[in-house]
Amino acid sequence: MSPEKAVREVSVTIDGNTFAVPEGTLVVEAAKHLGTQIPVYCYHPKLEPAGLCRICLVEIEKMPKLQIACATRVADGMVVHTSSAKVAEARRGVLEFLLLNHPLDCPVCDKGGECELQDFTMSYGPGESRLTEPKLHKPKLVDLGPTIVLDEERCILCRRCTRFDDEIAQERTLIVEDRGFKSLISTRNGGAYASYFSGNTTEICPVGALTSKAYRFRSRPWDLNHTDSVCTQCSVGCNYRVDTRFGRVMRTFTRENPAVDDGWICDRGRYTFNYLYAPERLRAPSIKRDGGRVDVTFAEAAVLAGSKLAEAAARGRVGVIGGGRLSDEEAYALQRFAREVLGTNNIDYRTHAQVYASPSRFGARLTDIDDASVILAFGAVTPELAPILDLRIRRAVARGHAKFVYMGPYRPAFTIETRYVKLQRGTLPKELDDLGDAVRRGAGQPGGSDVATIASDIAAAKKIVAIHSGEDAPSADAIERLVETLQQSGRDAGILVVGATGNARGAEAAGCVPNLGPGYAPVSGEPGMTTDQMLAAAADGRLDALFVIGANPALTFPDGALARRALKRVPFLAVADQVMTETASYAHIVFAAASFAEKRGHTTNLEGIRQAFAAAVESPLEVRTDAQIIGALTLATRRGSIGDDPTTLFAELNAAESAPRAKTGGGALARPVVTGASAPIAVPDGALTVIPIPHLYAGGGAAAHDPGTKPMRPEPYAVFSPSDARRLSLDEGARVKLSGASGSIEVSARIAQQVPDGSVLVLAEMPEAPHNLLLDASGGGWANVEVIAGAAEAAG
Amino acid sequence: MPIEPVLTKGFGSLDLTDLAVYRSVGGFAALTKALREMTPDGVVAEVMASNLRGRGGAGFPTGKKWSFLPKDGRPRYLVCNSDEAEAGTFKDRMLLENSPFNLIEGLVISAYAVNAKRVFIYIRGEFLAGYRIFQKALAQAYDAGLVGADILGSGYSVEIVPHRGAGAYICGEETAQLNSLEGKRGEPRLKPPFPANAGLYGMPTVVNNVETLMYVPHIIERGAKWFASIGAEKSPGPKVISVSGHVMRPGNYEVPLGIPMRELVMELAGGLRPGRRVKAIQPGGGSSAAIFEEDLDVACDFDSLAAKGTMLGSGAVTVMDDTACMVRCALTINRFFETESCGQCTPCREGGQWVHRMVARLEAGEGSESDLKILTTINRTITGTNLCVLGDSIMPFLSSVYKHFPEEFHDHVRLAGCPLHARSESAA
Amino acid sequence: MTPQRERRGAELVAKYPEARSALVPFLQYCQAEDGYVTDQAIADAAELVGITPAEVESTASFYSLLFRHPIGKHVIQVCRTLGCMLGGADELREHIRTRLGVENLETTADGAITYEEVECLAACDRAPVLQHNLEFVYNVTPEKFDSLLETWRRESPAAALPAE
Repeated sequence: MSPEKAVREVSVTIDGNTFAVPEGTLVVEAAKHLGTQIPVYCYHPKLEPAGLCRICLVEIEKMPKLQIACATRVADGMVVHTSSAKVAEARRGVLEFLLLNHPLDCPVCDKGGECELQDFTMSYGPGESRLTEPKLHKPKLVDLGPTIVLDEERCILCRRCTRFDDEIAQERTLIVEDRGFKSLISTRNGGAYASYFSGNTTEICPVGALTSKAYRFRSRPWDLNHTDSVCTQCSVGCNYRVDTRFGRVMRTFTRENPAVDDGWICDRGRYTFNYLYAPERLRAPSIKRDGGRVDVTFAEAAVLAGSKLAEAAARGRVGVIGGGRLSDEEAYALQRFAREVLGTNNIDYRTHAQVYASPSRFGARLTDIDDASVILAFGAVTPELAPILDLRIRRAVARGHAKFVYMGPYRPAFTIETRYVKLQRGTLPKELDDLGDAVRRGAGQPGGSDVATIASDIAAAKKIVAIHSGEDAPSADAIERLVETLQQSGRDAGILVVGATGNARGAEAAGCVPNLGPGYAPVSGEPGMTTDQMLAAAADGRLDALFVIGANPALTFPDGALARRALKRVPFLAVADQVMTETASYAHIVFAAASFAEKRGHTTNLEGIRQAFAAAVESPLEVRTDAQIIGALTLATRRGSIGDDPTTLFAELNAAESAPRAKTGGGALARPVVTGASAPIAVPDGALTVIPIPHLYAGGGAAAHDPGTKPMRPEPYAVFSPSDARRLSLDEGARVKLSGASGSIEVSARIAQQVPDGSVLVLAEMPEAPHNLLLDASGGGWANVEVIAGAAEAAG
Repeated sequence: MPIEPVLTKGFGSLDLTDLAVYRSVGGFAALTKALREMTPDGVVAEVMASNLRGRGGAGFPTGKKWSFLPKDGRPRYLVCNSDEAEAGTFKDRMLLENSPFNLIEGLVISAYAVNAKRVFIYIRGEFLAGYRIFQKALAQAYDAGLVGADILGSGYSVEIVPHRGAGAYICGEETAQLNSLEGKRGEPRLKPPFPANAGLYGMPTVVNNVETLMYVPHIIERGAKWFASIGAEKSPGPKVISVSGHVMRPGNYEVPLGIPMRELVMELAGGLRPGRRVKAIQPGGGSSAAIFEEDLDVACDFDSLAAKGTMLGSGAVTVMDDTACMVRCALTINRFFETESCGQCTPCREGGQWVHRMVARLEAGEGSESDLKILTTINRTITGTNLCVLGDSIMPFLSSVYKHFPEEFHDHVRLAGCPLHARSESAA
Repeated sequence: MTPQRERRGAELVAKYPEARSALVPFLQYCQAEDGYVTDQAIADAAELVGITPAEVESTASFYSLLFRHPIGKHVIQVCRTLGCMLGGADELREHIRTRLGVENLETTADGAITYEEVECLAACDRAPVLQHNLEFVYNVTPEKFDSLLETWRRESPAAALPAE
């Protein structure tokens, strides 16, 4: 961050106390210095002052009228009274007006107990009611889409929700309709408010107008226990609170961390906890027997699996896949298990197309986006993969100081103005080197070629943030070279890598890769096999056992056919997960793993911030944390001892990381070894190049079975360019079969302008239609298209 | 003390919508003078010296408003407010329909003074006829080189863009009008920033009323001294006042500011119907508090009416004689403000609606003493507590007539209906 | 968007420094064409000025002269504010409602006439006053209204609410 500008302080007197605050501070904020609460409804620290509700009127000397504390900035010598008789009367008036047509249905209102209308009426309201008016009626139980119900009668028209949608999410689908006392919060023609951020409006709603469908009538706020936690659904690591009652998770709630989430969470993060109580949740280990599965006790499963793994380890034919969804402590324990217990470096957390999660140099911070002048994203579709990071980008661009550039094989739907550069497969390194050259030579030119235009944006830029999907090692090197060039030209520049899983970076830092131990220290001896190599070896019969923990390569590994072959062929497969995943369905033994809410530990976000989370609820009887599973397997192998206490493991991890280690040149961190590069693929005549596309609500495992996010989950689909659709005679909604080199899937067809001719975008990670059956290990692939049913037929 | 009409001269006898006619009575001489003989600052100084005060309602000195524009090189806009909708006001519509070239001349001179390259005239949506007349006149003015590029060879260029509103009283409030011009909901903005600094499209902007801008050519032509010599010392100049209600000759009267209300109502507007007495007068549109028979000698200017606890406003005098039911009169005003509230602020939105309901109940004979009790105090939480002044307009008329005729309000409760109505029925 | 609409939209946008200013004029144009502001017009306007359809909806709903549902070929808007009330508007409104068999903001059963009670129309010197398709009719009496109604019923105006 650039150094803070010196801010002039001014003196203000509030309720007789004189103190200094930075010039420009809002009166409402200045009062907080004193611990004085000025009531507010429309004001929200994250939104622009609007001055609508008028509850915050205060008396300022030398001003004839009362002034709103939410929009008045302190001036030197200002004298403010926040509780004079005049102020009290105005507040009583506003509350009386708000209650006039309010239904007063507090007994059945979810907001009861955390409602600012209740609270302020209690503190500042009229002592006796003179409201004998019959209430005006407005629509109740308005269905605002998959997540929210709106009660217009409870609404006080503070507009926090519409302003959030406008200023923060910038999606502008939630609106005020009509005017005057008839004003309503609404969507166009009653359509869905389908924002990825919708849940935040239920939190910032000061009354019970916007309530969460998932939480309606579930609990009273005062009956909830609160546990500080961290969302692990993506690599941003938003801080949140898990609210529980009777040992059950009722809801999640933001817990602002300005450096990470700025006080918001996305709906996937907010609502993905209901799977804990879904029938698909694994509640006991099971073993394959007589063509079916039989539940067993945890002890039984651990003894069996431990001995099988030990046997394979003795022959040096064992591998471990996973880590990216574990806690830091568990990832550390897992690599110890592989190295110390199984005696192998065959361990890899990478089960997606992503090849690294930590920039080896020039790591940026999320907050660097806030004052960046140019944000360059490479293949990282941030709205789908890291929504709260995307909000930061939206804000930076909306404030007018940042330009956003996206380079990738297709143009994703970004909310903000985007300069899009279409990339052919494997061409990013060259583009970036050209860009670096152009910057060095000062060859920027607005409106010129892509490279020249971006170079001209950069020429005027003080700070650049590069955001990478972490796919393709040569691209990673090229990004680092570019950032180095930018730094050499006196600019601030850094890199963020969006993790494919919530704790990808933590797993990498803890040593869940074949060539690096904890703290990126190169391993002694030969590096082990990567995920590709392990799967290839297993498919060839060269491995006797695989242990997959918190990972689902059958659905996520680029070459799905290879993954499935390997999982089927390996003589012994143990899997630990929370639901029966595609990978677990092949396993001889499946462990039922605890969820994030049922354990404590740390998780490391994409920028490298390590954050603690606490256990909110207890897990079912035969369910164990991943650390407990690893610990029990260790015992069962009789080949060592790894504790399962997170505190001890965390101390060990810290000690291991701080140990001196060899570094590559220039103090850079070593990168995980990569096998196989993305080579150009040969697409047969008539076939389309397959480009996988992420979706916030796609994914296997818990995501596939969560009742909370199910309404938002898409059906598998593929998107065609209009001209390809014409050529293939397919309509929007048609059912099509996509057949690649080693498999086929059925999806419904969509048509969109943004698809390059000759390519098809395939929704990734859908268990019903795994995209990776069409890809090779490098992530490339093609498909022939066959129309199975026309749109009308498919709809019927 | 009648004066020679300025803006309304020739109305009824000349077709001033014809450019040749307007020119034949000296039209566009002021424009020539301003562009050829005066600097923009000179025009500002002249208008400032005339002490012309805004004719839209607030009475703010026009030259002073112009002088607030920061000289920072950003584009500036002049917006002409022709969104006349204050209850009882009908002068701007008449001026627009009858004398569009006077307005165009005023627009160009004023734009020259503030160095605006583009002028928007926001014409109330209901004034379709006025809009058409203005469009036609504007086309003629463009053709004659009086608007557009290099006007009269002066090197000064300005474009005038007429913009039709779409039905919203609040768009007469200047920041609401700017939002509306930007294609948004016509909701007033928080101030600061003020339009002079961040107005239309965030640029320095002046918003002036139709009548105000129409006086500018006359001030330029005849001099600030001439203008300042007319009427009241602190509110000089002529003013078109709309007189309506229970008078024999309702209409627009161009009078010197400071004219006594008695002269305006009883002489110019022809007085009341035989045998009738003044019961109440709204001197400044629906937003103003009433004055009464004993106040008839008040001078009609900004300061004298303010001293009476009311205002000149846009210059709309509505006269109610002794047949008028004050509750029913108040009902029309309170219904107006309920309908026209934009709904942003709680007191205006909810309070305005509540007051309307109570007054409607009283008028229908269904009111109660507790309603009346609330109406005596609600003023304190509705007035002065909102973002714009619409909320401040809800109570003045109601409070003033209730205070002056409390028995009429109580009778509505006691008799469960209107005492006047009952009397006239029994008389019949 | 029809080519004609696109052309008109482009002309309107060209009048302003920022496209969004053309929003209401464009909706007025569409309303004059279609009789009311249709869903298609909302979508077209959003495309024209580069905002979301929801934002167009929000803006359109603010203005009383933009109708989002079908209205009659005749729109009769009667003033009900103080000046007109003093001139007999209450009695006139009562008469019109009975005569047309509708309440405020309703359309006659045959779909021909939409009736609305509006606030001050700035013609208080000739009260009571109404607008028929945005044209003023002054000093309206019940008898005058009845005869005008007969005339209007025989006419078929191109647009109830012309844009220009």
